Amino acid sequence: MGNPLLTFWSRRRPDDDQRRIRRARALAATSSSAKASATIFLILRRMRAPLIVLIVIFSVSVLGLTLIPGVDAEGRPWRMGFFDAIYVMSYTATTIGFGEIPYPFTYNQRMWLTVSIYLTVIGWAYAIGSLLSLIQDRAFRQALALQRFSRKVARLAEPFVLIAGYGRAGELLGHSMDALGRRVVVLDRAAERIEGLELESYRADVPGLAADARDPAHLGVAGLDHPMCEAVVALTDDDEANLAVVMTATLLRPDVPVIARATTRAMGERMRSFGSPSVVNPFDVFGDHVRLALRAPASYQLLTWLENGPGGPLPPRGSPPRTGRWVVFGYGRLGRELTRDLRDEGIQVTVVDPQPGADGEDGVVADGSEPGVLDRVGIGSAVGFVAGTDNDTTNLSLVAAARRAAPELFVAARQNRPANAPLFQAMEIDALLVPTEVVAHQVYAQLSTPLLWRFIRDMPGRGDAWAAELVERLTGLCGEQLQALWKVRLSAEEAPSLPAWLRSGEARLGDLLRNPEDRDEPLHAVVLLVLRGDEATLDPGPDFALREGDELLLAGWPAARRALAITLQVDSAREYVVSGQRVPSGWVWRRVEEQLRRDPARRG
Amino acid sequence: MNLEKVVFGFFVVLAATLNFGFFIGDIDDPVLHNPFELFAAIVVNLIATVLKFGDRTQIGAVHLATSLVADLQLIGAGLMWGYAEYVSSAGMTPAWTASVVSLSGGALLANLVSIVLLVIETVSFHRG
Repeated sequence: MGNPLLTFWSRRRPDDDQRRIRRARALAATSSSAKASATIFLILRRMRAPLIVLIVIFSVSVLGLTLIPGVDAEGRPWRMGFFDAIYVMSYTATTIGFGEIPYPFTYNQRMWLTVSIYLTVIGWAYAIGSLLSLIQDRAFRQALALQRFSRKVARLAEPFVLIAGYGRAGELLGHSMDALGRRVVVLDRAAERIEGLELESYRADVPGLAADARDPAHLGVAGLDHPMCEAVVALTDDDEANLAVVMTATLLRPDVPVIARATTRAMGERMRSFGSPSVVNPFDVFGDHVRLALRAPASYQLLTWLENGPGGPLPPRGSPPRTGRWVVFGYGRLGRELTRDLRDEGIQVTVVDPQPGADGEDGVVADGSEPGVLDRVGIGSAVGFVAGTDNDTTNLSLVAAARRAAPELFVAARQNRPANAPLFQAMEIDALLVPTEVVAHQVYAQLSTPLLWRFIRDMPGRGDAWAAELVERLTGLCGEQLQALWKVRLSAEEAPSLPAWLRSGEARLGDLLRNPEDRDEPLHAVVLLVLRGDEATLDPGPDFALREGDELLLAGWPAARRALAITLQVDSAREYVVSGQRVPSGWVWRRVEEQLRRDPARRG
Repeated sequence: MNLEKVVFGFFVVLAATLNFGFFIGDIDDPVLHNPFELFAAIVVNLIATVLKFGDRTQIGAVHLATSLVADLQLIGAGLMWGYAEYVSSAGMTPAWTASVVSLSGGALLANLVSIVLLVIETVSFHRG
């Protein structure tokens, strides 16, 4: 550090970043493992006193027994050897008590043994008591849990997603990733949430650690420096903690994508100043969704369906009123975003908030619980109503009151606590915002496959009619439940039977999507998107010409996925599907047929 | 003066001296090797081992290792003595005595290493 030339030189090195990162990672890993071993050493240290007491008591009693004269069976003087003494003391101290061995004791010996019994019982009780209390010690158990956790994470041999913050959103995300067959590692501050992991029905084992995600060492143990870590997701309910996770991840692992939840725009900006994390702001997303729903209800319906993950039912197509005045209760984070989005759409908005807000024109300063407040804002002439405060009880009572005043109203509400879900469901809200679910769905869409995220971003541009038609086709082919959603890359590795066909230039998509058992039957799957290089084609028609290296995003039955896999792997299946010719799949028969083809004379 | 260091040094040195006292003398003469001394050596060695628990330094780890070696050797010697005395009909023959004493000699070497470590620790402390 002292030599300025050396400092300059090291700055010039291109791999300087790499070295810095490696060093930081090593630091994070060692500091956490040192913490774990420190606890073990502390435990050993605390066992010193009980063990020494036990050894001293035991040796004094044994020594006493060997020194005190006794008599043998014939009454001759006899002294107990060390072996006998240790044997007698062992069964006496542990309260087993076999009796007086090898010869009945003299009174002298019995007196000594009486003293020894009390001494050794105290010694054992002390040692065992200390050991038991140590095992129940919180620090010790945490150290053990940390070691078990880091062992589990280190042994992960498949790509995994690191989720920091296992609240409602983390849980939803974890389950949808698990349903896709992806591995998940979980970090949360609350021990009860991590303990709850064991009771949840995950298919794969989910390693979880109760620790603060703001500590880089904890993230390191949770697999931030693991080569198989494919993404880091910060979903804690504390924006500061999420920022800390984003910082740690982007500094120590710049190659791993980071997705973070932020509830304000300012926090989103702070996060974006570190590299390029993907920031999910539930209120912003909800505002965008409402805009999309206003403009294109079918696109919105398709979007929410795909974001719900595998097995999700088709959501109903809402139709928010496009013309007329909206009333928004609560000008907090949600109210602000929503008001801005609605006004951008050219809709008149009346904002109601107990705080005299920054909102100029149509702001009404009032508490939602005041009687007559709904009449004051003219609920009768409004078409849309949003109950967006951060109190569920207020929101529910506002919705009930508004419904009574104007039954035809389009009602949107914000649900803050998951426990209140049944109440909101019973109210039959037209558009419900559950911030945690919005976050989980957004993150899922980004992580499941990059193609789905691309599709979701490009889809609104295609218009409502197109989305309605696609929903129609999807429900016609696969039913009202979203089935599997998967990705196929038409490369030599993933689709070994295709390259020759693809190079012919006549590879129509429609030919590929046939059942390899019976080619007249189409596969129950829809190609949502084809990605070629950076160019995405949404919903390509059957005449779309495929090329090598294309990536396909498909939705459809799991059976269709297996059938398509057969077509992509087996040459004869591909030949049959594309041309209708049955080609022998075995080597011998193929040889025979080639021979026949080469020599047509022998055929006839 | 650190009382912990006094106790620690006392037990380490006592373990070595007791061990030496048992070891010294003709290797096959049972009269010269008192079983009480062996017993005392075992007990003091065990205590010294426990005292070395939980030291995280490198020298502490080597201390613990040498103590464990000494324990192993001395307990082995004790078991052989017990076998010769109680199980075999011959009693403490010169051959058995030699085995017991040579095992304790191995333990003595480990204990000497322990003492060397103790001295190194002390000297380096003064210099540092």
